[in-house]
Amino acid sequence: MSSGNDEAVPAPHATRPSRPQTVDLTRLIVGGVLVAATASLPFWPGVNSYFVALAVRALIFIALGQAWNVIAGIGGQLSLGNGVFFGIGAYGTAMLFTRVGITPWIGALLSVGLAGLAAIVMGAATLRFRGVYFALATVVISLGFERLTRHFVDFTGGDAGFSEPFLGTSPWAMQSRGPTPFLILSLGVVVGFYLLTRVLLVSSFGLQLQPVRDEEAAAASGVNVFHIKIMGLLLSAVMTALVGAIYVQFYLVIDPTAAFGLMQEIQIQLPALIGGLGTAGGPVIGGAFMVLVSEATNWLASGMSVHGLDVLAFGVLLLVVVLRAPHGVLGAFMRPPGAGSRR
Amino acid sequence: MIQALLSGILLGGIYGLFAVGFSLVFGVMRIVNFAHGELVMLAMYSGLTVYDLTGIDPLLSLPLTCLLIAGLGVLLYLGAFRHFVGRASMQQLLVAIAIAMILQVGAQIVFGPDTHGMAQSWGSQYLLFGTNFFSYAQVAAFFIALLCVTAVELILRKTRWGQDIRAVADDAEAAELVGLDTHRINTGAFALSCAIAAVAGSVLITYYPVNPGTGFALMPITLIATVVGGLGSVAGAFLGGIACGVISQVAGALAGPALQEVPLYVLLLLFLAFRPQGLFGRRVAF
Repeated sequence: MSSGNDEAVPAPHATRPSRPQTVDLTRLIVGGVLVAATASLPFWPGVNSYFVALAVRALIFIALGQAWNVIAGIGGQLSLGNGVFFGIGAYGTAMLFTRVGITPWIGALLSVGLAGLAAIVMGAATLRFRGVYFALATVVISLGFERLTRHFVDFTGGDAGFSEPFLGTSPWAMQSRGPTPFLILSLGVVVGFYLLTRVLLVSSFGLQLQPVRDEEAAAASGVNVFHIKIMGLLLSAVMTALVGAIYVQFYLVIDPTAAFGLMQEIQIQLPALIGGLGTAGGPVIGGAFMVLVSEATNWLASGMSVHGLDVLAFGVLLLVVVLRAPHGVLGAFMRPPGAGSRR
Repeated sequence: MIQALLSGILLGGIYGLFAVGFSLVFGVMRIVNFAHGELVMLAMYSGLTVYDLTGIDPLLSLPLTCLLIAGLGVLLYLGAFRHFVGRASMQQLLVAIAIAMILQVGAQIVFGPDTHGMAQSWGSQYLLFGTNFFSYAQVAAFFIALLCVTAVELILRKTRWGQDIRAVADDAEAAELVGLDTHRINTGAFALSCAIAAVAGSVLITYYPVNPGTGFALMPITLIATVVGGLGSVAGAFLGGIACGVISQVAGALAGPALQEVPLYVLLLLFLAFRPQGLFGRRVAF
């Protein structure tokens, strides 16, 4: 690829190394209260399992956004192929359990490993492409997976998707009649991913990944750009596949559109973009906000008998955020222009 | 096999028309318009609606459709894409995706999620060549596409306006230095691209039913045709479209309909890796 300056994510602090952060008491308290409130959700008065299931959906959505945020927000590479890893995690776990009888706990690990392998191969093939070319390459790989899963019906279940038999509440099968265990599990994943992102933002790997957005600068400062990018994609892939495994255990079905479809690829990006790209808190706020919006618009739409209002709302949100608030909701409110440390 | 080859060429003409419109915007202002398929989809609805209301054939209401879609394009350009001219950045791609989502859901709310086609069309009659058969509409669509691409190429080569567009495509800064109003020229080129999308949609609706997702589903092939033909080259994009049509039809005949596009995805990756400028394009930096 010829050289050129590819305008990546706007990152006013990209080249400024973040200072190691002292323990921020406010953040600790807010975070603790949020986690406690979410974990105790099933015991609140008036909360039924619909709300708990909704919270699980939100957490899964947030976690996917957190994973995408690693390669796109911190690394500045617009991946439209994270669905590949999500699909490998979900299909892999479900197939290993249904076909081979491997418990999903182990199956998830194997699938995550497979997704990591896929990320290395995919990254080696595509991460040399710059900017939009990388986005195009990843999107066709994802679409290729979609077509292949549709074609090999005997292996993957084809259009209808692959479903797991429901065995009732069973820790071995990683299945549950009520949504509460999945609430705790996915909450744990979101908290883990949040802490990981925070560490990443100040770790030496994270500091190398950040200037990769500005390739020449990174190369000049001695960073092996290609290598770092592959590691970034690998981490993002492993995180995404883990969420895929939880997704399939919760919903017990995965289909080609939900795994590799173009709309899915786009929705994975929205939490981070709307909340604040490249920040630890962004995907959490953005994802929660989006599930609220989606519920509100569905409630509105059911009165007017129209469909797709949530997608319309996401489209408008995305447009407004990119044009008017490139640092997301979090950035718009919490990072006054010219202020110091990265949130 | 000959049937697959020939229908691939006919279908490829339409793909080529998508790619030409898409490539024009990319070549002139380095904008990847992910919403190009949505413009085609809206043109299909426009032709269909006029037909349903008045019985006028979509090909006769083409001027109206062109005007509508070009007008929409000018709005999109002035409202959003104007900010991103000259750099195909991540934000630009995201804005285009957001616009695609909005137009798609907008169409769904107005026209409903179901697939609609023309109930009765002259195009549904078949033409026989030995053992091979094609609908009139497919054949007509190919020649209209060919005509349209030739017209675009002539506009770009022979008219003053076309030369201005090419000057901006070559080097926007230099064009500005010699006194060209790049903003006005870009707006015009964007409208031209939308008009080409309108032609593609009007031709397609005569034999292919439409639903709100139709345009988006055609985007991957459009992208591939453009990259294979060469980003920014009109004739290249058209030939790229024909190549994509032939490859997908032959692969579909050999390996089954679900896999017909897979060889194209592989082709795109190979081109990106070894010949990013495409068959006929120039090397562009972005």
